[in-house]
Amino acid sequence: MVDSDLITRAAGGDPTAFQALVERHRSMVYRVAFQFAGNHHDAEDIAQEVFIKVYRSLDRFRQDAQLTSWLYRIVMNACIDHRRRHSPAGSAPFGEEAEHKLLNTPEERPGPEASAYAGELGDVLQSEIARLPQGQRIVFVMRHHQGLKLCEIAEALGLAEGTVKRQLHAAVHRLRQALTHANVTAGGRA
Amino acid sequence: MTTCHVQASATIELYFYGELAPSERSGVERHLTACAECRRALEELTMIRSALELRPDVDAPPGGDWSRFMARLQDALESDAGASTARTTAGVSAFLSGRLAAVVAMAAVLALVTISVLAVLRGRGPATSTPAVPDRSAAAVSAPSVASAGPDAAASDAALTQFSGQHFERSKLVVLGLATKDPSTSSGADWDYERTLATSLLSDTRLYRLAAEERGMKTLAGVMRDLELVLLQTSMSEAPDAESLAQLQRLIRRRDLLTKMEVVATTGLVP
Repeated sequence: MVDSDLITRAAGGDPTAFQALVERHRSMVYRVAFQFAGNHHDAEDIAQEVFIKVYRSLDRFRQDAQLTSWLYRIVMNACIDHRRRHSPAGSAPFGEEAEHKLLNTPEERPGPEASAYAGELGDVLQSEIARLPQGQRIVFVMRHHQGLKLCEIAEALGLAEGTVKRQLHAAVHRLRQALTHANVTAGGRA
Repeated sequence: MTTCHVQASATIELYFYGELAPSERSGVERHLTACAECRRALEELTMIRSALELRPDVDAPPGGDWSRFMARLQDALESDAGASTARTTAGVSAFLSGRLAAVVAMAAVLALVTISVLAVLRGRGPATSTPAVPDRSAAAVSAPSVASAGPDAAASDAALTQFSGQHFERSKLVVLGLATKDPSTSSGADWDYERTLATSLLSDTRLYRLAAEERGMKTLAGVMRDLELVLLQTSMSEAPDAESLAQLQRLIRRRDLLTKMEVVATTGLVP
């Protein structure tokens, strides 16, 4: 059964249809949430929030829309909401300025040097991804891990494609800097 | 410092991710033969991809076990479905309105208890004097490994119950606040405080629930799970309208949450 049929049936009150929908997409949702959050605890919370929001929005889903785009948007909003609730800004009204700050402020986590000490390049990069400003991290995860095109990311996030391109460029720039700081360059370990 | 305009314009990333048209790709490939800086950027992107590909692909909870996730989701969805049923079933609605008076009366008593306990807690010092401040240290201290047994385990179970009781006292400010409001006269702003407090209490509630689950204290874990659900739904209320408030009140009643929290908080016994 295709997704749109499942949504129709779930919106009509068929619990098995909604369960099938969750089982079909939960891995993708969890993967994105984990890549964003970096731990199971928060990934599970984000994935829960996603499916609760999907459930509440079933009757608002447009049949001509792509479910995956719709789902990505919900996932990314859930990631942002989750971070917002767990950041000091979470208790304040969320205006444009706060949004900008949230999207562009690096996370307070251990830097790449500490991870490099452990000797794993993947760990270095993962640590740096976790420290990326939120907007850059979302775009990088969607482009690099999920393989979405920039135009698809722009559509899913409701952003201009140029903005998405700049966020990706900035993210890649920071990851390349992390390689340098970890003394790992294209010529091999320095 | 980037000196190449091709790299500064993000063209190398677009090339790497296959975002360029064939004609543009040809242009970049020609450029790459002459620009060492862009070649290095491309090699580093390849290195990033290779390194990240070696990391495990996490697309499920630990052990691939979705059962707890699905059960928790089911709980949340049941509360939504329960709300719909209550809206459409006159008998249930009448029953709920009959129960409301009792709940409000009990809530008034519990409010007095809460105020008294908070006054006592304030007198004990800063560690317990601020109800809204998450008590992570308490959760960490009171959640030793499940492998422990004997007197130590019994003592730490008791400690967890005690800390849980204090946490319930803090959480009652939210639950009582929600339960005693009149949805027909309350605006969204009237329960902003409860929504903010619910958000701040959510993480600790989860920690206590996980600690109780880990120690096999199923009943306490169940109460924490109910509280977590109420706090989660409160903090997630996107449209804090009368219906959202009424839905939360039905959830609190259906789970008999106030009674359960009160028993733990005042007697230290797990119901």
